Amino acid sequence: EEEFKWLLQEEVHAVLKQLQDILKEASQRFTLPASGSGGAVKQENFVLSTSGTDQVKGVLTLQGDALCQADVNLKTPRNNQLLHFAFREDKQWKLQQIQDARNHVNQAIYLLMNRDVNYQFKTGSEVLKLMDAVMLQLSRARNRLTTPATLTLPEIASSGLTKMFTPALPPDILVNFYINLNKLCLTVYQLHVLQPSTTKNFKPAGGSILHNPGAMFEFGNQRYEVSHVHKVECVVPWLNDALVFFTVSLQLCQQLKDKISVFSSYWNYRPY
Amino acid sequence: MKVSVQAVAVWGKIAPSHSITAIMITDDQQTIVTGSQEGQICLWDLSSELKISSKEILFGHTASVTCLAKAREFEKQPYVVSATENGEMCVWNVSSGQCIENTKLPYRHTAICYYHCSFRMTGEGWLLCCGEYQDVLIIDAKTLGVLHTLSSSQSSDWINCMCIIHSARVQEDSLVAVSVTGVLKVWDLSSSLNSIQERQSVCEKESKSLDCINCQAVRFCTYTKRLLLVVFSTCWQVYDYCDFALLCTEFCKSGQCFAGGEVLAAYRLIIWTEDGHSYIYQLLNRWAQMGNSHKKFSGLSKSTYPADGKVLKETVYPHLLCITGVKENKSFPFVMGFMNERKEPFYKVLFSGEASGRITLWHVPDVPVSTFDGSPKEIPITATWTLQDNFDNHSMSEGIIAHLDTSKDGIESAVVSSSVYIPSLDKLVCGCENGKIFVTLGLKTARARLLENISLLKDNLPYKVLNGHSSRVTCLLYPHDKSVRFDPSWLLSGGQDSFVICWDIFTGGILHQFSLQSGPVTELLRSSENYRLKDHSIVCCVCSDHSVAILHLQKRVCLLHARKHLFPVKKVKFDLVENLLIVGCEDDSVYIWEIETGTLERHETGETAKAILTSIEDSEYLVADALLSVSQESKRNKNAGYKHCSSYKHGMVSYNLTHTEKSSDKLTDTSCIQQPFTIVPVKTKWNNANFHILLFDLEKLEELLLSSQLNGLKSSNSFHNYDTLERAKSTIEKRALTLKRNKTAGSISPVDGQVDTACLNQDCRDSNAARPLEESGGMKRQKKMKSSRKIRMQPPGNIDVNVTTDTAKLLLSCLLPWGVDKEIDNHCVRHLDILRLQCPVSFGLVSNETHLSLMFPGWKCTDCGVREEHAVINLFSKRVLDLSNKYLAATEGQTAKKDGPENNVYGTKGLETVFFFSRIALINRIINIPSAVTFHKLCMCFSGKSGYHFPDFGSVSLLKLICCWGDQSIKIIEAMQAVLLAEVQMTMNTLRKTAICREPLAIVENGNGKLRTLPKTEKRDLQICNTLKIFLCHVVSVLKHDKSSNSADFQDVEDMPDRCVLEESESPGERHLKTVTKYQVP
Repeated sequence: EEEFKWLLQEEVHAVLKQLQDILKEASQRFTLPASGSGGAVKQENFVLSTSGTDQVKGVLTLQGDALCQADVNLKTPRNNQLLHFAFREDKQWKLQQIQDARNHVNQAIYLLMNRDVNYQFKTGSEVLKLMDAVMLQLSRARNRLTTPATLTLPEIASSGLTKMFTPALPPDILVNFYINLNKLCLTVYQLHVLQPSTTKNFKPAGGSILHNPGAMFEFGNQRYEVSHVHKVECVVPWLNDALVFFTVSLQLCQQLKDKISVFSSYWNYRPY
Repeated sequence: MKVSVQAVAVWGKIAPSHSITAIMITDDQQTIVTGSQEGQICLWDLSSELKISSKEILFGHTASVTCLAKAREFEKQPYVVSATENGEMCVWNVSSGQCIENTKLPYRHTAICYYHCSFRMTGEGWLLCCGEYQDVLIIDAKTLGVLHTLSSSQSSDWINCMCIIHSARVQEDSLVAVSVTGVLKVWDLSSSLNSIQERQSVCEKESKSLDCINCQAVRFCTYTKRLLLVVFSTCWQVYDYCDFALLCTEFCKSGQCFAGGEVLAAYRLIIWTEDGHSYIYQLLNRWAQMGNSHKKFSGLSKSTYPADGKVLKETVYPHLLCITGVKENKSFPFVMGFMNERKEPFYKVLFSGEASGRITLWHVPDVPVSTFDGSPKEIPITATWTLQDNFDNHSMSEGIIAHLDTSKDGIESAVVSSSVYIPSLDKLVCGCENGKIFVTLGLKTARARLLENISLLKDNLPYKVLNGHSSRVTCLLYPHDKSVRFDPSWLLSGGQDSFVICWDIFTGGILHQFSLQSGPVTELLRSSENYRLKDHSIVCCVCSDHSVAILHLQKRVCLLHARKHLFPVKKVKFDLVENLLIVGCEDDSVYIWEIETGTLERHETGETAKAILTSIEDSEYLVADALLSVSQESKRNKNAGYKHCSSYKHGMVSYNLTHTEKSSDKLTDTSCIQQPFTIVPVKTKWNNANFHILLFDLEKLEELLLSSQLNGLKSSNSFHNYDTLERAKSTIEKRALTLKRNKTAGSISPVDGQVDTACLNQDCRDSNAARPLEESGGMKRQKKMKSSRKIRMQPPGNIDVNVTTDTAKLLLSCLLPWGVDKEIDNHCVRHLDILRLQCPVSFGLVSNETHLSLMFPGWKCTDCGVREEHAVINLFSKRVLDLSNKYLAATEGQTAKKDGPENNVYGTKGLETVFFFSRIALINRIINIPSAVTFHKLCMCFSGKSGYHFPDFGSVSLLKLICCWGDQSIKIIEAMQAVLLAEVQMTMNTLRKTAICREPLAIVENGNGKLRTLPKTEKRDLQICNTLKIFLCHVVSVLKHDKSSNSADFQDVEDMPDRCVLEESESPGERHLKTVTKYQVP
């Protein structure tokens, strides 16, 4: 019993402090614009590359949770024509995944900050509840980064992304940006229009992270088929750090929960 | 169609834990609604004297409740919407506890605002939601479908909080919201109504960064129409709504976080903190002349300024007036709210809910003032309440098997820590804190628990105690339940001591003991249906150190003990082909074990893990379902074809059971009987509180009763002349004989059941004299039931009629308002064999498969003034009495009818139970159905029966009455009680009349003859309607009532002729056919 008291009073706070430090570190990676530093968030350039062919090349500039510049060079395989397009000066593309992950982390930090050192935990279940809430936020933050949204092709086609480029994207090209684990990915779909008379039986493709050539969809009364898919990606180092932090803090949380459960199992008749 | 299930809760001593995460008070200030981290919603009654008492608990959500809001104009419909962590939304009727609508969307809301613009909108209005997604969602308040979004053109982000501003000056409603990054945004609502309806994108009108994060609340001052209060966790600020200029900032004390705020009056604010303190500030406004340089307000506000062109810059200083606080620092996170009502009967109320489940209320005076020396004054707490208070105050709070324990050794009864109900055996198995396991008969236990004066029942209650565990029994499993390949005698229990014991449920012996040595066993799972790899008696076992053990029951060995998991186990699956065990953990990682060798083959995380889990989906797997305390994710058990509506673990178990019933019913599987009665054990997440829900399936029960009634009729014909005591005795002897024969024969024929009912009826009739006899008979019955149950195991196709009638009686006992009239009580106990209740019961309301509301113990008569009579228990509300009087008045005509065949009525007393029962079932149906949308179906199904009811005239008006109740939102339970009371009263009157004076009867009948003529004309109209089958729109509602009334009469008719013509042993169906032919021709 004494030991449990010690656990509640000392150990829990130590773990919470540790968690806070880790998460603050993680949250700094996300460089929140309003975090007080004031000035512009630093921009980072990333060169997109594929291992094999060099049909798609690009340079992306990431500013916090937003892509502020993108330069994409595309070599179309049909006529070896080189296409170049970039973001319009006035436009930014929010990477929803990063924003969500950042918000989840901040929520977790907020939860932890509410119990500062002076706070006395009285019951184990109190700690368990707090840990559950924190873990929920953390696992969501991690899941946002590890699982990109599954989009259908019409959704990609109708997203605002297509209108952001100058010169405007040709109608037979779709682009999509997303985060997968620690990588920033760009997929370029080349389409060709399906003639209404075509004998191919039309089957619209469902939602997917990455569509394969041959996927078909209908958009704006036109039927399209994906002819080529190019996927280029680059590693964002700080995303990797953040993911590691998430994993470590999740484990810390679970360990704390386990410690408390061990005690509870010794006391049979008492609600812990 | 709705499920006709009645639920009765048997609470334990400990209240279910309820960590409040959301709180609100309804607009009428009569109900406090709280949402909890456990996922339930509690309704608390708030009296006009500001007394709190807990009223009902609503089950249905599977995850923590994030926010609550009203979902309709409250005066019209008392609906409240709740949203949870996993995206579920549910609309509840807070006066009845019914779930109106529910949905699951991939959005997590943290705040909801109800918006309705009556003159420009169709439908029920919108729910404006914000949460863990960008910007604001518009959700239809009625269907809960997403209508549209309010999007932002720049810096779109999650919205933290918002409020709706009705500006009278511009005739414009706006939504003011603050995002997580501290950007304040304003959307126009009323002027963008059209574009929303046409699904054009709606962007914000204003957007301004406030340079502060963690916004907790934003409120508009409706008194000055100018000030905007924004509360951040570190400070609160007041802005000028006209130009969004910052007027003042006040930081919080160190160690505190602001959690919200509200405008009390003009220039008066109340701000509260996370730790349950609140502060009332007076804004002292000072007008200062400023230069022209600040002239940037909107044109609208110009009129309020002097015309000399100079701009007045308003600056305000906060002055602390009053504070409130909790006495001892409870140091839980508080959720607080403030209810500001200017109307007279209402109060200004500050309320808070704690994680411990306590609600605290402060009555804030209309004009708060500081003390004379200028220091802040403290406002005292007005009321405070927890769920446990209710449980402490009421005697009924004891566990379902508590009486067993006390009767045995007199010491303090052991707390039930886990339990399982086996429907096929009607056995209730309860594992206790002290390691004992009690095996009892479910129905008997429930009767003994709820009814009074049945010490004999208690004493004769057969039960077994299994001693094996040294500490708390954490989980129980009866594997035969769902898959026949398990031996029916196997019962598994897991304990805190890390032992899993396999029992023989019939002998009580230990078959085997598995010692796992890995912490308390948290979960026992049966392997899925088609797992035939080994001799397929495999059970999976999850321990608290996150290890998984596979136990082979037949060979009595532990095949594999997988111990490497870092996180709690969420899913367990089997790969048949490879003979692998796949374990999915909380952190979405997957461990693959080779069962043969017991080695860990792979460990995967992230995408691969997901892919593995989904790819195995089709092959065999175990579902770590409800009871796995760590996981609340919904899992489906596909092999059985029914969904595990993984409600919150409580709800879940219950629904598993009801579902099983249903599915088996549909399949008309002979091996599975649908029991009209089930006991559902319920376990809470954070504490050990356990309680049980008794579920009565009305429809099924009625069906069974009617069939048994028929049988009973037949047999009572044969026993018809057995009126005297001796003969009754002989009946019992005779039955005992048949009983013996049964035993030897090894099976019960349906006839025996009939005989039994008949005997039962006889017993009831000879109430006083035959009492001791009956008792002995009862004992024999018990024995017989026991034996028959054992027999029934092999051919489980028969349903014991005794069980049915007992069940029905138990339900009637629960429904009757005892103590209203002594005579009625006596009548019930003596003549009808409906026993008095020990204490009031808590009823539940099942709204659909996954949503259920339960009353709390001690909630019933806070608003009924009958308190002074101590004897009155179980009266749901005062209204019941009025209702039953009305009902009585309406049934005058019918009474006469009943008086006619009074001899026969007397002769078949036992049938009364059945009659009452069908009445209740009927009322339940009437009130449920008209509210359902399936009206046409209804018409179809009733039009067939419409011809029947003509002999019974009084009841049309009566049924109309009942239908009216349905419309008047009188609770089903109230209506049922009222009707039951009235019916009992009526039969009693009849009895008295027949006993005392026979002659006046004729007069009565004459008197009623007049009454009867009136409805007759009504009847004719109705008939015309029927023949014409005109379902015109505005007639529909009336017709609907008539239709249902017809069906009701059909019940009456069925009952009446049965009584009149006892000699005839034809089935009611034939009977009705006759009536039809008789009366169809007008």
